[in-house]
Amino acid sequence: MRRRTIKGLAVTATGALLIAGCSGGEGESATAADGRTALTVSVWNIEGTPEFNAEFDAYEEANPDIDIQPVDILADDYPEKVTAMLAGGDTTDVLTMKNVVDYARYASRGQLQDITELAESAPEGLEGLDAFDQDGKYFALPYRQDFWALYYNKGLFEELGLEVPAELTWEEYADLAKQITEEAAAAGITPAEGEKVYGTYHQIWRSLVHATAAAQTGGDQLSGEYEFFEPYYEWALDVQDAGATLDFATANSQQVTYRTMFTTEQAAMLPMGSWFIGALLQSKAAGESDVDWGIAKLPQASAGEDVTFGSPTAFAVNKNARSADAAADFVEWAAGPEGAKAVASVGATPALQSEEITEAFFALDGMPQDETSKAAFEPGEVALEMPVSEHTSDIDQILMEEHELIMTGSVPLEEGIAEMNRRVQDEVLSR
Amino acid sequence: MATATATPAGTRSKKPAGTYSNKRQVRRNTLIGWSFLLPNFLGFALLTLVPVVATFGIAFTEWDSYSTPEFLGLDNFERLLTDNNFRTALLNTLYYAAGHIPITLAVSLGLALLLNRKLRGVNFFRTAAFFPYITSIVAVAVVWNMLFNPSQGPVNQLLTGLGIDNPPGWTSSPQWAMPAVIITSVWRDMGYYMILFLAGLQTVPPELYEAAKMDGANAWQRFRNVTLPSLRPTTFFVLMMLTIGSFKVFDLIVVMTDGGPGRSTLVLSQLIYREGIVNGRFGYSSAISLVLFVLVLGVSILQYRRNQKLEA
Repeated sequence: MRRRTIKGLAVTATGALLIAGCSGGEGESATAADGRTALTVSVWNIEGTPEFNAEFDAYEEANPDIDIQPVDILADDYPEKVTAMLAGGDTTDVLTMKNVVDYARYASRGQLQDITELAESAPEGLEGLDAFDQDGKYFALPYRQDFWALYYNKGLFEELGLEVPAELTWEEYADLAKQITEEAAAAGITPAEGEKVYGTYHQIWRSLVHATAAAQTGGDQLSGEYEFFEPYYEWALDVQDAGATLDFATANSQQVTYRTMFTTEQAAMLPMGSWFIGALLQSKAAGESDVDWGIAKLPQASAGEDVTFGSPTAFAVNKNARSADAAADFVEWAAGPEGAKAVASVGATPALQSEEITEAFFALDGMPQDETSKAAFEPGEVALEMPVSEHTSDIDQILMEEHELIMTGSVPLEEGIAEMNRRVQDEVLSR
Repeated sequence: MATATATPAGTRSKKPAGTYSNKRQVRRNTLIGWSFLLPNFLGFALLTLVPVVATFGIAFTEWDSYSTPEFLGLDNFERLLTDNNFRTALLNTLYYAAGHIPITLAVSLGLALLLNRKLRGVNFFRTAAFFPYITSIVAVAVVWNMLFNPSQGPVNQLLTGLGIDNPPGWTSSPQWAMPAVIITSVWRDMGYYMILFLAGLQTVPPELYEAAKMDGANAWQRFRNVTLPSLRPTTFFVLMMLTIGSFKVFDLIVVMTDGGPGRSTLVLSQLIYREGIVNGRFGYSSAISLVLFVLVLGVSILQYRRNQKLEA
């Protein structure tokens, strides 16, 4: 009696599993209600990332038989969610590659379609394509290439009677940050929110120190030898100790965002990625902020150099895509001039660069028109933020942990760097 | 069907045992009983049991959730022995448990004793004590992070006011981050365990207190010799739940410190998540899960044995 019941249960459970299993894979390409071909694209935070809708609208206009259906995912969980989706055999057609490290992982697992042909016929001037080279094969095409620059609050500079320098070394930058902090306090300037005006704001990301150091000194973040971080840490700590930026511990525990610090005019300068331009234009257009801003080149180790870092964002075609042909067409379109125009139209920096696109970019409502900003938009050299290898994510984790200890003052600088060297060599490279 | 109740088979049957209709009745009742269990059991079997059993197999392989798993034997466990992250996470988990279990137990028992008397507005205070438990963990973490802010937070302002010159850095200091997390978690959990203790306290027969009073026992002796022994079943249950909860702590740490500063609050369940979901090393991640499982099982068995000895 009891045994039979258990058997019955087992049968029911197996049945349920089978049903669940079957509903997963459907080979046919989906058709929307109005007869157009549905093309699903994974995106993050579609409300706060306007280039997605700009691209989708432009593509649909050019291809009336396609209906793009975005799959919106929380930005913070994006890589984990896409990993889980792919492991489950998800059929979303186009996958947005938020960073190169995750791209390498998906590509090496064979989860993306080989689009080397499209890469070979890619237009001249497509920046960041090299980052997607996997032993001569390409599985994604970049549509967007961000790079780091120095944002400044023109209004605050004017109020203090200061010139905006077109080029700075990190030492000059640190001195300027301290000078602004002091003079703003002396002049009694207080921001709308917060307690005081800081000369600059350092986002807690390790890239600010590590990727800048690697790009500007030629150091390798995967090498296990990190002495080249040292001068960059000295500048960052110098600014922090002088109270010219919100300290790391507070910024971290209070989850302060660079956006708030800059748009509420609590920081006169901000080293940040070019994606922030779009956000600034958007918040100004929505009347949320009236900061008068501009950009300058990222400070350099020594005068006359022009190196920054950044990372491309790309579209890839899912191996299990339902509408693979339409997906490939979209990926190619997004990397081409039409896609670049759509991306630029909302203040995001397209991977494809040309004079025409730069002009269109600066013609946007709310863009600064000074020469310094225009010069900053054409950086001399953009190094990849973090090199890709099988060790990238483990090393990234270690460097992040040790960065936190150095910046909170828990560990002296030299000890922290020695610990980075030791941990990366012992725990990752020699394993 | 609709009027049938799920009473245990045969216990209330009016007919003499062994007749045909009685057997049918028994079978029907059993089936009804199973059918009540089925929805819950199905969910459990599909979403919990299968993955748990799978863990035991996956732990001996290398698997990225996509390609075919590769059998490794004990390699994953060998790697655990030399993995610095694992050692740190294990020690941190033990540290957290060693702080969280006794303090929560003491605080929730104290609260229960305090709120187990007839006093004006007692329901209000009980609700207030229970409130943290039903508050969103993210809100709790954000608010406590503000309270613990080293320079402008109320906690350190209070400490400075009390004459402490160098108040701790709390979540921004590797030494104080874990105590800060423990304080927050005790505050969050105390209300729940207080309710359990309150329920236990209501079952203590008042005659025992009266008798103890007659024998001249003072308040402490009454607590020691009447309340505590009468509460033993409740205490055992609370201790078990607290142990399991402490060893698998995840959410609070992730939203409050995310393992930092450095690795000072990295715990096992977080390492499991990081290795498995983030880095796609499901084999290694399953091996850590097994260790956590054995750890919780071991501690639970110890407590169970001790409880049985005390009851005997």
